[in-house]
Amino acid sequence: MSMATLSSSSASLLFSASSSNLFPLSHSSTSRLSFSSSLHSSTASLFSASSPTFLACPSSSSRLSATSNNDGGPVFSISASAAEKKKVLIVNTNSGGHAVIGFYFAKELLGSGHSVTILTVGEESSDKMKKPPFNRFSEIVSAGGSTVWGNPADVGSIVGGEVFDVVLDNNGKDLETVRPVIDWAKSSGAKQFLFISSAGIYKLTDEPPHVEGDTVKADAGHVGVEKYLEESFSNWASFRPQYMIGSGNNKDCEEWFFDRIVRDRPVPIPGSGLQLTNISHVRDLSSMLTLAVEKPEAARNSIFNCVSNRAVTLNGMAKLCAQAAGRPVNIVHYDPKAVGVDAKKAFPFRNTHFYAEPRAAQTKLGWSSTTNLPEDLKERFEEYVKIGRDKKTIQFELDDKILEALKVPVPV
Amino acid sequence: MARFVAVTPSQQNNQLSFSPLASSLSDFSGAKLQCSQIQFKRKQWQAKSGSFYVSASSNKKILIMGGTRFIGVFLSRLLVKEGHQVTLFTRGKAPVTQQLPGESDSDYADFSSKILHLKGDRQDFEFVKSSLSAQGFDVVYDINGREAVEVEPILDALPNLEQFIYCSSAGVYLKSDLLPHAEVDAVDPKSRHKGKLETESLLQSRGVNWTSIRPVYIYGPLNYNPVEEWFFHRLKAGRPIPIPSSGIQITQLGHVKDLARAFVHVLGNDKASKEIFNIAGDKYVTFDGLARACAKAGGFPEPELIHYNPKDYDFGKKKAFPFRDQHFFASVEKSKSVLGFENEFDLVEGLTDSYNLDFGRGTYRKEADFSTDDIILGKTLVSV
Repeated sequence: MSMATLSSSSASLLFSASSSNLFPLSHSSTSRLSFSSSLHSSTASLFSASSPTFLACPSSSSRLSATSNNDGGPVFSISASAAEKKKVLIVNTNSGGHAVIGFYFAKELLGSGHSVTILTVGEESSDKMKKPPFNRFSEIVSAGGSTVWGNPADVGSIVGGEVFDVVLDNNGKDLETVRPVIDWAKSSGAKQFLFISSAGIYKLTDEPPHVEGDTVKADAGHVGVEKYLEESFSNWASFRPQYMIGSGNNKDCEEWFFDRIVRDRPVPIPGSGLQLTNISHVRDLSSMLTLAVEKPEAARNSIFNCVSNRAVTLNGMAKLCAQAAGRPVNIVHYDPKAVGVDAKKAFPFRNTHFYAEPRAAQTKLGWSSTTNLPEDLKERFEEYVKIGRDKKTIQFELDDKILEALKVPVPV
Repeated sequence: MARFVAVTPSQQNNQLSFSPLASSLSDFSGAKLQCSQIQFKRKQWQAKSGSFYVSASSNKKILIMGGTRFIGVFLSRLLVKEGHQVTLFTRGKAPVTQQLPGESDSDYADFSSKILHLKGDRQDFEFVKSSLSAQGFDVVYDINGREAVEVEPILDALPNLEQFIYCSSAGVYLKSDLLPHAEVDAVDPKSRHKGKLETESLLQSRGVNWTSIRPVYIYGPLNYNPVEEWFFHRLKAGRPIPIPSSGIQITQLGHVKDLARAFVHVLGNDKASKEIFNIAGDKYVTFDGLARACAKAGGFPEPELIHYNPKDYDFGKKKAFPFRDQHFFASVEKSKSVLGFENEFDLVEGLTDSYNLDFGRGTYRKEADFSTDDIILGKTLVSV
């Protein structure tokens, strides 16, 4: 079912998603209507305040279709969507690159009028909660969401018997961890199960990109979860992300490049630097997930590469980071084996092509990417400087080892 | 002659027949127009649901600039089969028709009896203008045009042209660290293919209904650009395959038959009006991967790949490798989502088709030349 977002560049929007603070967010289903001033008046009269058919969505699900009738004039058809407000539970990891996904997803859902509970693994008092995005969870609470902590295996008791429409597991990497959540979701009557998997499960290929349906590594933990979902849940979707940037990230991504660029240090990249990877702004992942929640039939039993629609080379990423920082960059290539370093420790990205495209999301959900690395990295650099990380003293042991082996001078 | 038909909803599901159209054939060499039963295609209707005007996709008078070498050879056959009257504009240096490998005698006879030829040099702009305006074509496919000046006389000659379909090139895209190239991306006004860009701009400025297709590397039987042939020569000779730099550079091939189908797909298609489409294979491929795919296609054992630094060598004017030494690939998502176009060939299937119908039968365009290989390999192999 397609979502119609009636957007107008001209004035007089009566209600809009961006001004969601106009509505006290509650967990009951309130109807919210969006009007475009350009809408023909006769169609506006089709909707009354009592029919909960509309949700203005800030994500890219706008679908105002115009067809020609036999008089030749346009008729705006709005598909009434059955995307009523959902109760969503997010089971979120307490660390790592994927942690930030739950944070953005929660906020976007809340902005769209859905109800959200986020269950973070572990304890609220743990040191891990002092890092982003967890140290910003007040933003979820003030938007009307609930935050709880505990062991996902005990999810039922942690949420106190509450029933959810949608459950997202953004935590487990294997069936042992996710199964209790899936089983509880099923028995408690959740209608849709979403899983954050990984594009890392694709088998290496001569023919990029990784496309949904391509062969995956049979022994990968995430694959075990996907298989179990396929067998046991009536409406599931699995999302395979790659790397993300975005404020609130728990794991360094672009920061690795900024650290070196801002200190005028060479940027050591293993191999040719031509390796392609996909670095998305986390808002892309959030918008894709939100679309799946709002179009459950379109998302049913599907796999989605949860990435932006552009890949970037490792060299390119270094250059874009330097441009964002307004500084030059000195890229140095090396062979990890020859130098004697473990590439996984020395460099934050995979040393091969790691490139998936979001074809299923585009086709099935009508999703589109908004990642704009050149622009997004500028924002990220601004924050990098704002928090004073450019002044921080950092040890570059592995870098130094590499540069020593290559006899590359480093400024003092 | 009614080209556009207004149809009431009750007629929508019927098949309408047109009587064969008369056309002036006097200038054309010997071919008789044979019009079989002309029918609406259901697909056209479905694609244009709700739209008032439907152009008959059959029985158009079509001119192909070129058409005797590679793309046009396949495109012209598809168009003739669909019932169009197709004329090829060429200098006549190559035979107007040649039987394709795998084509039956009867199919070839049918095609050659229907295809028309307009002999001329497209660089003679006055002749182009006068000969075309005398004929009055409905649609022009420009398959071999390189410069905008070559297209002007065509547009001048045919003010009522329904559609100008241009074979451009993905080579117009500005090199980028962000890939794939999409139709909305920046183009390079200094590229080797800037004539294609200038042609696209001309089409945009002239108000004609145009469609531009940007292929990447085209391959398939009869390919005159030694793309797959370059690999097949080496595989057949049992030679190692020298690949510049890392071999992980990503390129993209598109089968000529899929490209021809795409050209037909945009004919009379509202959704293609004034649009650009990248057309190529669904998946991309690394240089190393392409060598392996060619080996699979020809039934050769997995090849030995030798990587070298091209900067260490001076090959003079010779090309040591048939691809640009960089990533170069384009997204075909627009053609899928807007046109619903789907490729029939994947890479290994397509290379197999090319091998079975061309190189594997002992035919190729360029003799094997291993001189640059030998420079790289640092020795001369005596050919057995």
